[in-house]
Amino acid sequence: MIRILHIATILFIAACSSKPETQERQVLKIVATTGMIQDAVKNIAGEHAHVEALMGPGVDPHLYKATQGDLKKLTEADMVFYNGLHLEGKMGEVLEKLSRIKPVLAVAASLPDSILLEVEGFEGITDPHIWFDVALWMEAVKTIQRYLIEIDGEHKLYYDSAARAYTAQLDSLHHAVKTQLLTIPEEQRVLITAHDAFGYFGRAYNIQVRGLQGISTVAEFGLRDVTELVDFIIQRKIKAIFVESSISPKSIQAVEEGCKQKNWQVKIGGNLYSDAMGNPGTQEGTYIGMVHANVKTIVEALK
Amino acid sequence: MNDLYIILTATLVSASCALLGCFLILRRMAMVGDAISHAVLPGIVIAFLLSGSRDSVTMLLGAGIIGMFTTFLIEFFHKKARLQTDASIGVTFTWLFAIGVVMISLFAGKVDLDQDCVLYGEIAYVPLDVIITQGGVNIGPKALYVSGIILLVTLLFIFLAYRKLFLTTFDPAFASAIGISTTLWHYALMGAVSMTTVASFESVGAILVVALLIAPAATAYLLTDNFKTMLGLACLAGTISSITGYYLAVWLDGSIAGAIATMSGMLFGIAMIFSPAHGLFFRKIKAEAH
Repeated sequence: MIRILHIATILFIAACSSKPETQERQVLKIVATTGMIQDAVKNIAGEHAHVEALMGPGVDPHLYKATQGDLKKLTEADMVFYNGLHLEGKMGEVLEKLSRIKPVLAVAASLPDSILLEVEGFEGITDPHIWFDVALWMEAVKTIQRYLIEIDGEHKLYYDSAARAYTAQLDSLHHAVKTQLLTIPEEQRVLITAHDAFGYFGRAYNIQVRGLQGISTVAEFGLRDVTELVDFIIQRKIKAIFVESSISPKSIQAVEEGCKQKNWQVKIGGNLYSDAMGNPGTQEGTYIGMVHANVKTIVEALK
Repeated sequence: MNDLYIILTATLVSASCALLGCFLILRRMAMVGDAISHAVLPGIVIAFLLSGSRDSVTMLLGAGIIGMFTTFLIEFFHKKARLQTDASIGVTFTWLFAIGVVMISLFAGKVDLDQDCVLYGEIAYVPLDVIITQGGVNIGPKALYVSGIILLVTLLFIFLAYRKLFLTTFDPAFASAIGISTTLWHYALMGAVSMTTVASFESVGAILVVALLIAPAATAYLLTDNFKTMLGLACLAGTISSITGYYLAVWLDGSIAGAIATMSGMLFGIAMIFSPAHGLFFRKIKAEAH
């Protein structure tokens, strides 16, 4: 019996102390939830960090299911960045609790409430899709920069200059988007998609945005929603509607079909990147490339 | 250490589910877990509309109340409308779920609100949500304590009420004859089921709870004709599924809940073929020997 106890104690101690300890940590290990945040952190931290994203291309963050490997990434990470404002659902709550143990930043949730879009009729509930307003995303990038410096002050100079260069790129992107969208005739400046992800885009670039579903990708669209949208399209003579990379195109096809029955040809203007970016290695696999691709698709279809 | 936390939590949850599952299977109410997982939707919506917040405690409260209400409705339709239990379960949860969907599209279409994003936990994240005491000491994951307490309460309930639960399950007529209220003990059991399922949804997610409520108990059912042995075997099957399922998930880098549920299904398959009394394999051998 004593022997068994003895062995049990040794096993217990071994289990408790089997934490892998890397002596020399050269680069920070950073985990981001979405590809957009990963891209932003990569651009600021550069060679000083290894940045991984949990959600790959085409993944809907509202419905993401964690794998065993994700836990390993999160426990080994030196820092974690996530969007917040309920974009990641319940996972956001877990990450918030993780912030008691290691540095965790909710990128969108750390922006001041005054510049965020509140969901109509619900006080304190905000739209999480901030990355479609490039100017707002620049603010997010700055909070990432400040947080990186707070945790890893040693490389402040590097982070500062990288962030300066990157925000300059974003600034010209912001203006490019603005001028490109101005080429669409004003009464045609309506963006119709499957779910309400483009609220910030509409506010920033003066485009009217109509979605079929709410922000949640689970809520089903109603029959009246479709009819209303069809009537709206015909009344405004809108040329194109759009599908999103991370959401089933079915609902938007129902709208297309509805217009056809009323003798109005509306075309599917193309695939927009909404909650996830394109494949890594391609143009659309970066934030800037994604925004360009979206704007190009929108302008070409609506002009 | 993370591995240990996850396996331990899964084992504790599987034990509570397996124990209650044995009673549910014998009462032909195995789908009640699945029913609750859907039926809690209106509870979540109402809790959100009343409080304006989506934090776990509020959601858990709304879901818990509707969970109890679900089991009440199931029994009500069964008794008063003389519906079979499976039909009664089906009517109840589809109706409640539908009410939830309609409520979301009416009142909260622009808010991200459904069980998946506000209520269901994820077993992979169990080790991240730890309890830190006021002195700043990390004493382990919250879900581990929650599932431990649930198992204790379940064990205590079954231990104290074993005879009554047993009689009302196997011989309701006799139970009534000797003065045991079948309705009372039915609601007591269903109360325990809805408490266990809703709290476990919050710690480890829905698919795992629904699977563990049925598969280990069904496996044990094939292996023995003695009820106490069945309870023990169901716990064992749950434990084996939790451990092997976790390592399956490590190997595949997949969803842990999915892998554990898969393993519990595999165990059931093995029991179906190789069970000494009812298994296909031995039945064939016996048939050939005759």
